[in-house]
Amino acid sequence: MYGWIWRHLPGNAWVRGIIALVLVLAVVYALFQYVFPWAEPLLPFGDVTVDGASAGGAGAGR
Amino acid sequence: MSVRLVVRTFSELCITVGALIVLFVVYFLFWTGVKAADAAEGEIDTLRSQWAREPAAPAPPPASASAKPSAPSPSPYRDGKPFATMHIPRFGSGWEWPVLENTEVRTLQKGLGHYSGTARPGDTGNFAVAGHRRTYGDPFKDFPKLRPGDAVVVNDGTTWFTYRIAKQPHRTVPTDTAVVDAVPRGSGFEGAGRYLTLTTCEPEWGSSHRLIAWAHLDATRPVSEGKPPELAG
Repeated sequence: MYGWIWRHLPGNAWVRGIIALVLVLAVVYALFQYVFPWAEPLLPFGDVTVDGASAGGAGAGR
Repeated sequence: MSVRLVVRTFSELCITVGALIVLFVVYFLFWTGVKAADAAEGEIDTLRSQWAREPAAPAPPPASASAKPSAPSPSPYRDGKPFATMHIPRFGSGWEWPVLENTEVRTLQKGLGHYSGTARPGDTGNFAVAGHRRTYGDPFKDFPKLRPGDAVVVNDGTTWFTYRIAKQPHRTVPTDTAVVDAVPRGSGFEGAGRYLTLTTCEPEWGSSHRLIAWAHLDATRPVSEGKPPELAG
């Protein structure tokens, strides 16, 4: 998988390395900005209200 | 040859999943705190400029807990918007968080959440507030350290309300909504009064229970007279 990506990047080893780094940073940014904020409420740590529901902080009740 | 390919792809997948998990932990433990501190600061700034722009009507004469309710213009709080700041000296002298209306997930990521439908600060009834114990800035991290007599100070722009914790934090189940009733069940309070309820999760990293702290209004002080003594030291 990673080998395949590496072979398909253009340029010499330095250019490929820089492009790969940019790709990694882009993936990390997307994870922090979009994926993790979406996934986080599915975990139970955010439940701090008494609302009669087990779903994360629905906040409906009182 | 193809076995090698399968093994290599499988190990690459394992490494990817491991890196994902590590990144998520970093996000969860560290980055949510950065985001929450930033958001809370922004909310407090919003409040301050709002209060500076429209100085609320001259505060009512100094009232003790027994005085008349001060409710000249109760315009409803806007969902997800801040309307007060909270200070709890027990959690540190710099502990200051905005209180926002409603207790939805997104609201609680920016500060403390006021249970919609419960009383306003200083009013008769129960001013109920929820907050994260872990992640998103850990506002209620030291919740179990609350002791009877500890001050919980709320500023709504016109008045400082000083509540006093009545007893040690109480552990209950998530469905026990009576703890935020006007006269909270289990608090030991009897009859109508000006109460405050704080809720957070219990255990620290879990969600099987809730930790509750109750307080009653002890003193009020117009903002024009400066900070209450509890915050001075």
